[in-house]
Amino acid sequence: MSAQGILITAFAGAGLSYALGLTSARLREVFAIVVSVLLVCLIAITHGQGAEHVYYPDFLGLDLVLRMDALAWFFAITVSMVGCLSVIFSLHYVRGKEKENFYYFALLLVNAAMLGIVLSGDLLSFFIFWEIMSWAAFLLISYKRGRALDAGLKYVIMSILGSCAMLLALLYLYANYNTLVISDLAQQIRSAAGGFPLWVMLAFALGFGIKCALIPLHTWLPDAHSEAPSPFSAVLSGILIKMGIYGFILVMYGVVGLKLLLEVGAPWLHFHTVLCWLGAITILIPTFIALLQDDAKRLLAWSSIGQIGYIMLAIGVATSLGLAGALFHTLNHAVFKALLFLAVGAVEYKTGGVRDLNRLGGLIRRMPVTFACALIGGLGLIGVPLTSGFVSKWLIYKTLITEGHPFLALAALVGTWGAILYVYKLLHNMFLGQLPEKYANLEAAPFSMQLPLMICGFIIVLFGILPGIPLSVIGGIVGTLGFEPVTATLTGFGPQIGPLNTLNLCAAFAGVLLVIVAFRGIAARPKPVSQDDSYAAGAAAPAGKYHHTVRFYDPLERMTGGYLRDWVDQFYLSAAGKAKGVFNGVRRIYTGDVRTYVMYIVALLTFLIFAHTAGWL
Amino acid sequence: MVSPILLIAVPLALAFLTPMVGLASKSARRYMPAIAMLFNFIVAMSLLPKALEAPIIVRTAGWAPPLSIHLVAGPLGLLLSSLVALIGLLVAIYGIDYIREGARARYDVLYTLLLVGATGVVLTGDLFNLFVFFEVLCISSYALVAYRGDSAGVEAGMKYLIQGAIGSSLVLIGIGLLYGTVGTLSMADIASSVGSVAGSRLFISLAFMIAGFGVEAAIFPLNAWLPDAHSSAPSSISAVLSGVAIKAGLYAIARVVYTVYGASSILPFLAVLGVVTLLVGEMCAFAQEDIKRLLAFSSIGQMGLILFALALSSATGISGAVFLIISHGLAKALLFLATGYMIYRTGSRDISSLAGMGKRMPIMSLCFTVGAFSLMGLPPFVGFASKFTIVRAVLGTGSTFFITLLAIGLIGTVIEGAYFLRIVQWLYFKPAPEAMPEQTEGRAPLTALVPVGLLAVLIVTIGLLPGIVGRALGPAADDLLDRAAYIQHVMGD
Amino acid sequence: MTRIIQLVLSPLIALVVGVLLLGLSRKIIARIHRRYGPPIYQPVIDVIRMMSQRSISHGSLFDLGVVFALAGSLVTVMFIPLGGTQACQPFAHGVLCPLSSSGGLLVVMYLMLLGPLGLALGAGDSANPNASIGVSRKLLLALAYEVPFLLVILAVMSHYETISLTEIVARQQQAGWGALSVPLSAVAAFLILPAMLGVRPFDLVSAPQEIASGPMAEYGGRSLALIKLYGATHLFLVIALFVDLFLGGGVNLATFLLKMLIVFMAVEMINAVLPRVKIEDAIKFCWKWPAGLALLQMAITVLSKSG
Repeated sequence: MSAQGILITAFAGAGLSYALGLTSARLREVFAIVVSVLLVCLIAITHGQGAEHVYYPDFLGLDLVLRMDALAWFFAITVSMVGCLSVIFSLHYVRGKEKENFYYFALLLVNAAMLGIVLSGDLLSFFIFWEIMSWAAFLLISYKRGRALDAGLKYVIMSILGSCAMLLALLYLYANYNTLVISDLAQQIRSAAGGFPLWVMLAFALGFGIKCALIPLHTWLPDAHSEAPSPFSAVLSGILIKMGIYGFILVMYGVVGLKLLLEVGAPWLHFHTVLCWLGAITILIPTFIALLQDDAKRLLAWSSIGQIGYIMLAIGVATSLGLAGALFHTLNHAVFKALLFLAVGAVEYKTGGVRDLNRLGGLIRRMPVTFACALIGGLGLIGVPLTSGFVSKWLIYKTLITEGHPFLALAALVGTWGAILYVYKLLHNMFLGQLPEKYANLEAAPFSMQLPLMICGFIIVLFGILPGIPLSVIGGIVGTLGFEPVTATLTGFGPQIGPLNTLNLCAAFAGVLLVIVAFRGIAARPKPVSQDDSYAAGAAAPAGKYHHTVRFYDPLERMTGGYLRDWVDQFYLSAAGKAKGVFNGVRRIYTGDVRTYVMYIVALLTFLIFAHTAGWL
Repeated sequence: MVSPILLIAVPLALAFLTPMVGLASKSARRYMPAIAMLFNFIVAMSLLPKALEAPIIVRTAGWAPPLSIHLVAGPLGLLLSSLVALIGLLVAIYGIDYIREGARARYDVLYTLLLVGATGVVLTGDLFNLFVFFEVLCISSYALVAYRGDSAGVEAGMKYLIQGAIGSSLVLIGIGLLYGTVGTLSMADIASSVGSVAGSRLFISLAFMIAGFGVEAAIFPLNAWLPDAHSSAPSSISAVLSGVAIKAGLYAIARVVYTVYGASSILPFLAVLGVVTLLVGEMCAFAQEDIKRLLAFSSIGQMGLILFALALSSATGISGAVFLIISHGLAKALLFLATGYMIYRTGSRDISSLAGMGKRMPIMSLCFTVGAFSLMGLPPFVGFASKFTIVRAVLGTGSTFFITLLAIGLIGTVIEGAYFLRIVQWLYFKPAPEAMPEQTEGRAPLTALVPVGLLAVLIVTIGLLPGIVGRALGPAADDLLDRAAYIQHVMGD
Repeated sequence: MTRIIQLVLSPLIALVVGVLLLGLSRKIIARIHRRYGPPIYQPVIDVIRMMSQRSISHGSLFDLGVVFALAGSLVTVMFIPLGGTQACQPFAHGVLCPLSSSGGLLVVMYLMLLGPLGLALGAGDSANPNASIGVSRKLLLALAYEVPFLLVILAVMSHYETISLTEIVARQQQAGWGALSVPLSAVAAFLILPAMLGVRPFDLVSAPQEIASGPMAEYGGRSLALIKLYGATHLFLVIALFVDLFLGGGVNLATFLLKMLIVFMAVEMINAVLPRVKIEDAIKFCWKWPAGLALLQMAITVLSKSG
């Protein structure tokens, strides 16, 4: 199956699902799922293929090219998988809500556009699909109304800004090389010198940085991710922001190339070094902001920014281990962040839209499967050994330490330890502790919501124990991008990269676990008691909510809360406010008085003549 | 064979026949503009392939230049007159049911005249006729703006008239000065002799013409009439004013600057003016709460971008400009037409009254969204193809001056995105007010849905297959750029 | 075969030594307080007693969390060299570190998380506010001491240019202790040892007088026994890591344990005399002095490497 077939399926699927929805809602749901699953299969069977072909000759004088290679395949399978899971999850989530047709159409369209982005063989197709993705995402972000509208506008304005920068960059390339086909560009750009690559990279970085929410371009993300419908939050956080990452990898390593990249920038400050440090900042600040959030999805949104920081940091280091880590972490983050957003979505769905962490609790008793999966996702996010997140983070730390960037490594590690705090807060405040009375009879989420969670959880554990499965693909990609290929064993790395054997770890853990459980079995089984039957130092447990969730990290919050406001966002908002003032001022040019207008005409004429006599024109 | 002169003569005749038809059948009269424009569209399209090879020159035999109707139907002219006819046709169909008040007969006549004027402007080969057609266009516009006869309309019409009249007189002075200098009014003739005349007087005549045509072309700061006029007129009129009329002004400027004077020294100034117009237009549009004023200001912004692209003086740049003229014409006509019935429905021009429109008027809202997306330059709509061509042209020039201007101009695109997408949100994601002022006469009839739908289909189709118009763009650009060929074609006959 | 023996041996050593150290701790403190104190094997008696009692349960995670905590810390032990060198071979592999080839210091750092995390999840499953407050404090304290701890580890790893713990130990045995080559890191690490161990002045997590032993508030019976064992293993782990990083490990198990004992005694002295601090002060302290020292050391290390 060629890339073209995949794209046709994806786009036609989006359109047809709308058409089918006009006749029957059930038919549309079935169709949407069939298309999504079909896409996963179609992409899966193209594994290992490499092809490049023109699918649209002479679009505005340019040939539009699709290509399939290792990098594209890797992103395509991630996109289609997370997209498929979110469609399955959506079944119950949107059923009975308004504009279902639109919802499915836009969701499938975003997914199709993202497939288009990664399968594009030239930068114009890339840009076109990019824009389609941007506006379709805007529509979906706005779907829930209310505050979602502002979030959507914020997103799309920043997105357009980024697109403009990208357009300039890619046409700047075109003006110089007269082609936009990626493989041709990569051939020709080698001879580039001077500031030219820097300007191109900066403009691209603006576009990609906005999409992947690199600080200080991140401000759209917390609003958009928390206000979007949860299945789409999973797509947004899981794969849409990864398109920015794909863009960075494509431009930095696929187009500009490693050799030239290492020279871009001033001799004392290279472009990729700046990217590293931005990545480090993007890890640290959002992690600590995430700690303070009370909205489950907002917390996850900030966490997403933090995780993007890891990926950017790893991309910027420009080593083969770093890039492998970045790619692996991209996959991992897609999986576990999708899982977490979907889990929060399931809770939101069952509790009637509650995502305030202070009003939930104890749901493990009502939704055990959701909790178990969320736990796995959370552990993956932290990077606990035996989850896939561990291996990718390990690669990143390893390369940072051995390449001599301990300060960057520090940022990454501290970010992880911060992640423990917010993951625990999320899990604890939602699932653990006291179950509020009104949720005492809550039912578990429907199977169509649990299935995606279970699939994600399974992937996290599987790739955590056998990281060689994804790494065999990733290692090859790294090889095609001008690095030494990363050779991984099925269970980790051999001594030349560094000792890591996850299977041993797993076996040891399982053994110890068995011994402990056996040992524990000596003692009598504990007596289950109700949640209210707890030790209160002699006092009776108070009625109502007595559980500790509000301001969970109060001491830290008091210490850091003052500093951890989103300054950048405030700056942008005030700039936007000022701009509005200016716009209103500009409007005053049109006074409504026709005498002024006549004066304008005369003034222009006078100016023209004056300018001519002064010799300007 | 069909002659381009039919493009002017037939609609003109039909325009004057309209009142007579009205005597026979009132309902038949309403179809006259549509018939005229359908004829024009067919003729223009059939002529276009031939004109792409070489311009079709028509002279009315024997008369001296100032009096003769002297047509040069080049690729650019025919392309634009096809556009005029197409938009004119669709808007005319829309107008059949849309115009409900006022003196219907006058509307039909003025409407046809306006389009005849626009067609004449783009086809004519001499300056005086340019002026005459321009006046036909302008005067019918003045009248149509005030067509409803309400105070806002009349006031806007008056303001428009005052500024337009000043503009026209400046044009006339400019033509007079030029005639005094070179002694001919045929554009090709002037072009061939202009090189030999000393600079200053020539430049002053050019300045007069730019300032004069600039009023109609809505160039900053000459565009103050536009927001009032476009928003006060009935929506069908706004659609042709925005979609067709202002482009005629811009065409006139381009023709004068490129063909007649070959004045490349003024181009950087025009580029700056274009970007300023773009920014001012978009900024003002952002601050609007009245949907039609917003669309009007957005037109100003787009005109600025077109002017900027025209000033690039490169083949790609002018192709881009012409492409944008087409895409903006389609999109803006669509937007005004879609808005027309929404306003009927709610009785208000406030953007907030559009809340929940996606449910109440799904097709209109969908088409509006398509138009808005196209205008913002989002793929896969036609606006993207045109804006892309322009940006490509700018970077192709490799000049820092133009690239800087473009970067500034792109801010306008961002602002544009902000306000258009806000409207889209109002359409779809705001709940409709509880007590809906439901006006049954606001339901869009088939005559409204068909043109609006067709425009949307065109926007998507050309967006996906830009090659449809792309073939004509190159020759159209050469038509403007290649003075020598123009002179040779016209004079060689 | 020796590998399997090692695999069994090293967690066992950790358990035994850890439990004895716990007993020793009570003894030392009692003596400093001029009391006689319980016998040194008192924790063993406690564990046996608790195993024979029937506990309550608030849910399956409540029980499993503890199991994970203990399992995590026992697995961690397998990654830590417990004495032995390449030259002198009390065991076939030279170094008593059964999983040395399965991961380095990075894995150890992560595995050390499992303990607190398991306990936090388990304790969180009860609705007891004391437990949640304790967990919140525990995680904040962890964040507080992890910053200097990470700096310390990074400085050590940068200094020896490896992420393998056995490698670090081997290098020290050749070229002198880490305490001498990265002295400021060693000082910083020592300063945060009480925080990592959760003893005074940083025993605010399980402060019995304030929050009813915090995370342990609801636990009893077999779960509490496991927590006790976890505490013992954790104690062993932290001190063993300190010995490995800064005191050159041990030529054999005996010297290794001796070094551990010395470090432990030093920590106990602090434990015995200082009062408890508030969590805010703990964070401020950790981010000020130990972090400052460790940062300084790291800067020096980086500069000396690049220079």
